[in-house]
Amino acid sequence: MSFSFARVKAVLWKDLLELRKNKGMLWSMLALPSVIVLVPLGIVWTYVRDPHDPNLRAMALYYDFTINTDHAARFLVDKVLSDWFVLYLVMPVFVPILISSHAVAGEKEKRTLEPLLSSPVTPLELVIGKSLASLIPSVAVCLIAFACLCVGVDAVAWSLTKELVLPNLMWTFGVLVIAPLFAFFGNGVAVLISARVGDSRLAQQLSGLFVLPLVGLAAGQFGGVLKAGPGYYAALGAFVLLLDVGILFAARRLFDRERLMSRWG
Amino acid sequence: MSIVVEGLEKRFGARVAVTGLTFEVKPGEVFGLLGPNGAGKTTTVRMLTGLLLPSSGRGTVCGIELGAQSDGTALRKKVGLLTEQPGLYERLTARENLTFFMRLHELDETAAWQRANGYLRRFGLDGREDEPVGGFSKGMRQKLAIVRTLLHEPEVIFLDEPTSGLDPQSARTVRDAVAELSAEGRTLVLCSHNLAEVERLCTRVAVVKSHLRTVAALRELRREGLALEIVVEGEAAALVPALSSLPFKPAAHHEGSRLKVMLADEAQAPDVVAALVHAGARIHSVARAARPLEEAYLELVREEDAP
Repeated sequence: MSFSFARVKAVLWKDLLELRKNKGMLWSMLALPSVIVLVPLGIVWTYVRDPHDPNLRAMALYYDFTINTDHAARFLVDKVLSDWFVLYLVMPVFVPILISSHAVAGEKEKRTLEPLLSSPVTPLELVIGKSLASLIPSVAVCLIAFACLCVGVDAVAWSLTKELVLPNLMWTFGVLVIAPLFAFFGNGVAVLISARVGDSRLAQQLSGLFVLPLVGLAAGQFGGVLKAGPGYYAALGAFVLLLDVGILFAARRLFDRERLMSRWG
Repeated sequence: MSIVVEGLEKRFGARVAVTGLTFEVKPGEVFGLLGPNGAGKTTTVRMLTGLLLPSSGRGTVCGIELGAQSDGTALRKKVGLLTEQPGLYERLTARENLTFFMRLHELDETAAWQRANGYLRRFGLDGREDEPVGGFSKGMRQKLAIVRTLLHEPEVIFLDEPTSGLDPQSARTVRDAVAELSAEGRTLVLCSHNLAEVERLCTRVAVVKSHLRTVAALRELRREGLALEIVVEGEAAALVPALSSLPFKPAAHHEGSRLKVMLADEAQAPDVVAALVHAGARIHSVARAARPLEEAYLELVREEDAP
């Protein structure tokens, strides 16, 4: 089977160009990252503003009754950041779903799939090009959000901590290694579902449903049920890597011209 | 031969979309593919352009065997397909749409743009290259889609309803372009419901309705049978019921005082005239007329539907 990087690049170029011109999609892509940068920043700011507030001591004791309450504010800053860490892993799942559902099912909706498939591009080149067009912005958004959070948290918390809180090893590993793996997973799910359904919104909703258990992960972390540390996240990364490999094989099998044309052409 | 197919069939599960396709298309020929909606024309074109694999049968397009090629890439480099819907990216400009397909075909962009600019000028789209396609009229989109189809200079071009939805002037531009491409020696396969267009452009046609009904030169198709044009006194409509009393029940069209009667055989002509006279018609003239393609086509697609 022929494979051409030039054709992959062409698909990537076209999809990124379409994304750049789709203002609605860009705003949707920025909504979640904005929330997960601004909300923890706001929470950190409330802790730092009055570190001796007795309410903070009560909150810290709720989470850990062995804590030295003189350091309640610092404890809570670390706590909120470790809680929000999981959202930085979940975010790269949702952004590719948004983009990929549109990129694949959107071709069917706009009736551009047949002319596209009648060109020399192979389904594999199409999947790779479209996946890159979804992964690159998603991971970039995650990294930019992480950078903003680091700068913001360190600026806001400096008066309390007198040291850099972020980035630390767990966050760096999470954002640089686990988040792209999650992004790959979200993209793979969206590509597979988009290849089976003819509507981009339906593809988005089904993909969202499929990755919903990850939101449970975040909820468990916030509720204090799950006390996840670096080891847990490393294991999670390995598990997602396995899922990614499975998705890659499934995409290779399911995303073929005959199937796409006979169902949606 | 540009296209040779023998017993080609496509099934989707248990459903047979099209079967028994056997025909050849010569280089430089404009070949019509006719059939009602759902007859399998689009499926046929998709098999011939490497989008679908045939379930059985054999065929070659531009010398490349259907189904045997690893992924159809070689075939798709040699053929061009204009789909029924233009299928353009509306947020992108005309230039970006064409550039995308140039890159998919891995063309030298400088040379490809020289060709594309020629076609854009020909279709009156020059100067509009940097406008988003979303703002184009239906006719402009169709013309841009034709330019996209021609970018890689395909040997065989498949046109699915190329003038559908176009205003008469744009339709004429497209038809002229088709005629020019044919004159350049390219092979064209035209799927159309517009029989007048097929009559004007094609030399031979295949009529498909789930299976191949016929492949014939247009002249032969029209010659199969005869049309009588009869001019009568008064309204011809009043005389149509008289024809239903004939054992061969000929089809008839009327317009004012003119009556056109379709016959399978010349020997039926005296019976028609006698039936009309018997019904009180005052006949001014009777002449042989060319049998319209529409009549031959409708007869073919009706043939096996009759109980």
